[in-house]
Amino acid sequence: MKRKWKKIGILLALCLTCFAIATKVQAATTVADIKKRGVLNVGVKQDVPNFGYKNPETGKFSGIETDLAKMIADEMGVTVNYVPVTAQTRGPLLDNGQVDMDIATFTITDERKKLFNFTTPYYTDASGFLVNKSSKLTDVEDLNGKTIGVAQGSITENLIKEIGKEKHLSFHFVELGSYPELIISLLAHRIDAFSVDQSILSGYVSQKTEIMDYSFKTADYGVAIKKSNTELSDDVNKLILKWKKDGTLQKLYDKYHLKPSTSESNK
Amino acid sequence: MIDLSSWEAYFHDFGQFFNGFLFTLALSIGALIVAMLLGILFGSLSTSKNTFLRGFARIYVEFYQNTPLLVQFVIVFYGFPLISNYIIMPSIYWTGVLCVGLYHGAYIAEVIRSGIQSIPSGQMEAALSQGFSYLDTMRLIILPQAFRIILPPLINQVVNLIKNTSTVAIISGVDLMFVTKSWSALNSNYIPAFTGAAVLYFILCFPIARFGRKIEEANKKAYSL
Repeated sequence: MKRKWKKIGILLALCLTCFAIATKVQAATTVADIKKRGVLNVGVKQDVPNFGYKNPETGKFSGIETDLAKMIADEMGVTVNYVPVTAQTRGPLLDNGQVDMDIATFTITDERKKLFNFTTPYYTDASGFLVNKSSKLTDVEDLNGKTIGVAQGSITENLIKEIGKEKHLSFHFVELGSYPELIISLLAHRIDAFSVDQSILSGYVSQKTEIMDYSFKTADYGVAIKKSNTELSDDVNKLILKWKKDGTLQKLYDKYHLKPSTSESNK
Repeated sequence: MIDLSSWEAYFHDFGQFFNGFLFTLALSIGALIVAMLLGILFGSLSTSKNTFLRGFARIYVEFYQNTPLLVQFVIVFYGFPLISNYIIMPSIYWTGVLCVGLYHGAYIAEVIRSGIQSIPSGQMEAALSQGFSYLDTMRLIILPQAFRIILPPLINQVVNLIKNTSTVAIISGVDLMFVTKSWSALNSNYIPAFTGAAVLYFILCFPIARFGRKIEEANKKAYSL
C-alpha cells in the first residue's frame, strides 16, 4: 500500500512540473513593460559573420542584425541586451519570454507566420551549398546520393527536398545544432555539403571550402516577435519600413558589404 | 493550462520518438557491454601487484574521469577522420558505443577496484596462511564480499550510462534526445516532446535504480544475525 502511494506521489509531482512549465509560457510582455525594465532583450546569432557575430577576442557583437537591434532599442529609449540564440533555440526563447524579439536570420514562412509575428523583411537572401574544394562538386546534380548537412530547426531540408523532387535527385540529410559543427562535419568529410543561406555561408569560406555556383529559393529575413505581442510588432514594423525608405538599411548593407538577393517582396 | 492539441500532435508522431527510444536502448546495451568488459579488466589491473599494469590502469581511469564525454565524442567523430586522412570513420552508432563505453568503463573500473580494496587485507593474509592459493582466496573469500559492496555503485553507473548516451544527439545520432530536439524545433512544440523524453528515460532508468536499491537492502541483512 505504502509503495502505491509513493508511485502516485511521483506521478503527481511530474504532472505539477508540466503545469508549472505550461503556465509560465503564457505571460506576455508589453512595450510599457520593456520601457519600465529599461532593457530590450533581443535574440541574435553569435556565429554568423556580418549578421550576428560575437568576436571571441573582444566579446563584442557586430553585424547588421545586432546593429538593427541596437537601433530599435535606441528608438525605444532603452538599452539593448543581446541573447545568443541558434536556429533551434530562437523559437522557444521567444515563446517563454526570455527574449522580446529575434533578429536572427529568421526566414519568414507561412507556417512560422502562424506561430510568430514577423515584420516586413529587412534582408533577402538565397540559399546555397558550401563544399570541400577537393570534392569537385560543382552543380546540384553532383550532390545526388550525397549527404547534406543542415541546421537543426531550419527549413533548408524541406527546400532541398523540393529541388530533389523536381530534378529526380535524392539526398541524405544530417541535422546539426550549430554552424561551427556543420563546418567541422564538412572538413571531416562527415557531410559532402553544408547548406544554408548564402550570406551565412560567405562567412565560412576558407582555403579548403568554396560556395557552389548554384543558389535556390530566396528567403526573407524578418524580425520575429511573439504572436500575442502585436503592439511591439507594429512598432518595430514601422521602424523597419521607415529605415527601408530613408536608406538607413542600405547604409547598413554597405557597412558590411552585403548584397541582398532580389525578390518580389523586397520591391 | 495544458494545450491538448500539442499533445495530440505529439502522440501522432510518437513512432519517431519510439524509434529514437530504440536507438537509445541499442546504444545503451552496446556501451554497457564495452564498459563492463573494460571496467572488469582495468578494475582487476588496478589491484594487481605489478606496478606497470597498475600504472597503465591508472592512466586510463584518470584520462577518462577527467575529460568531458562531449570532447571525446568530437575527437572520435570528427578528429579521427581528419588525422587519419578519412580512413578511420566510425559510424555514429559505434562512436557512441566506443565513447560512452570507454568513459563509463573508467568509472566502473574504479568501482570494482575500491570494492576489492575495501576488504581488509587481514582476510587475504589469513586465507593465504591457511594454505589457500591466491586465486582461491579471490574466488572464495574476497570477491563474494566485494561483489556486495560493488553492486549499488555499479547500478548507479549503469543508470548514468543510459542517461549519458543522449550525448550522441550532438553528432546527429537519431536517439531519443535528438528526435525530441529536432521534432520540437520543427513543430514549435516543446512541452510534450521534452516531457515525453523525460518519461521515456525515466521508464528505462527507474526499474534499474529500484533493482539497485533492493539489492542494497538485501545486503544490509546479509551479515546481521
